[in-house]
Amino acid sequence: MSAIIKNNKKLLYPALLWFIVFFLLPLAIIFIYSFTTDYLFQGSRVSFTFSNFLEIFQKRHYLIVLTRSLKISTLTTVFSILFSYPVSYFLAKKTRHDRILIVLLMIPFWINYLVRIFAWKLLLSENGVINQVLLWSRIINEPFKILYTQTAVIMGLVYTYTPMMILPLYATIKKIDDSLIEASRDLGASRVRAFFDITFKLSLTGIFSGTLLVFIPALGSFAIPAILGGTDSMMIGNLVENQFFHTGNWNFGSAFTLTLAVLSIALILFYSRLFGVEAIYKSREY
Amino acid sequence: MKKEKPVFLTIYTVLFFLYVFAPLIIIFIFAFNAGEGYNLPLKGLTFNWFEEFFSDSIALNSIKNSLIIAMISATISTLLGTGLTIGIIKGIARFRAFFITVLMLPVLMPSLTIGIAALVFFRTINIPLGIPIVILSHVSISISYVFLIMMGRVEGYCMDVQEAAVDLGAGWFASLRDVVLPAIFPAILAGWLFSFMISWNEFIVTYFLIGTEVTLPIYIFSQLRFGISPKVNVIALLITMFTIVIIITTGLIRKIYIRINARLTL
Repeated sequence: MSAIIKNNKKLLYPALLWFIVFFLLPLAIIFIYSFTTDYLFQGSRVSFTFSNFLEIFQKRHYLIVLTRSLKISTLTTVFSILFSYPVSYFLAKKTRHDRILIVLLMIPFWINYLVRIFAWKLLLSENGVINQVLLWSRIINEPFKILYTQTAVIMGLVYTYTPMMILPLYATIKKIDDSLIEASRDLGASRVRAFFDITFKLSLTGIFSGTLLVFIPALGSFAIPAILGGTDSMMIGNLVENQFFHTGNWNFGSAFTLTLAVLSIALILFYSRLFGVEAIYKSREY
Repeated sequence: MKKEKPVFLTIYTVLFFLYVFAPLIIIFIFAFNAGEGYNLPLKGLTFNWFEEFFSDSIALNSIKNSLIIAMISATISTLLGTGLTIGIIKGIARFRAFFITVLMLPVLMPSLTIGIAALVFFRTINIPLGIPIVILSHVSISISYVFLIMMGRVEGYCMDVQEAAVDLGAGWFASLRDVVLPAIFPAILAGWLFSFMISWNEFIVTYFLIGTEVTLPIYIFSQLRFGISPKVNVIALLITMFTIVIIITTGLIRKIYIRINARLTL
């Protein structure tokens, strides 16, 4: 038995090596960049500094981008919880066709998200489909202008990442034992009370998993604000892209990227302290 | 508990499905619309946009590149990922939680971080941007997804069978090749399909590493930035069809897998 285990264990090394070289090492390199002054291995003298990080918190423009990104992804998360909770509840408890409906819901998720964002651009633009229908039916007299605003970005993000909220929510609500609710009702709890004291509390794990799966990609989003957003919707991703492709300050760009990474790792660790690491994997089963 | 008809919940769910699918249906309709822009009412049926798309050499080239990248990176990551999963689930007992946490990073971290880190890394060691390094980075993301998909199924597969094979005189490698791998083969296939889809759809990491080449998501992105030609509707339609085929295939594989599993436990 132990010989088999020993041999089995050897199978993990190629992947581990790949992972260290092409995933962890690059992260280590941006870590170094964000605490230094110049490009590595290019002949120039490289020295240690904190200034890249200080710049983020001192320059108004950068601080605005950072807080705006946090605000947009928080709103995205809140809306996707509100939108998907009733659906997840319905799928988990009120229908027998939940499996096929979940598969249906996942189809758009597997279609490239740029295509879905494109659809929203069509819908929201000034002479877009929604405006045309509203104008034609005389509900409004002037076309509304949503495209190229933060609202459009949030709408795009919610649409893109809501499936990531539904899956864990559905999975946790499905597991809740109906007899608990029955018992609380028998003991005199109102339906509202039974819902908040039992169903809602027991589905908190799902809400948190979903938050992780929505908040983090929203925070690091880049294409959606670039396509649906305007001048007031630049997010961390767009700023970082600017640093690497246009302004060309790698050290500062790395510091900003690292800030994003630290924020998301902190969230991941907080979650795994609460629920254990494997909970996320389990919630993602589909 | 008595089942009441949840009227509002049902209506809400129907509306939600509409919200999810309406945007897609609208782009499909415009893929066949004869008019130039996106004006209602529709002007009649045309296949011009399909013709225009299929004569666009950049678009076709981008599809070719995307297919190459997705197939190669799916193959490498499935090979590595299968080894990784067997190694961790059936090989080590200590530090397992630690391994799993670290492996979760590519799944949970923003792709932006991964893309920027790879860009800085490869430029620092002077490797030119392009398709090869896109493949390398896609693999390091997909390995985690392969692990995620296979973990449960490898865990469920009883190790006693491998032990029995060895007791009966098979070498370790033979036991792996003839006993373990056939049993988890459907999971391996599912892992391949999953990482194919991850790589096929991947945009952010590719955007930073691709240099002057074009993949399909990069092509769509550039189209979206400069106006929106109805050609994009055609791409959307084709991608959707392709996606549905993959989803059905994956579903079939899962069914076959369940059947095989049922036979194994008998």
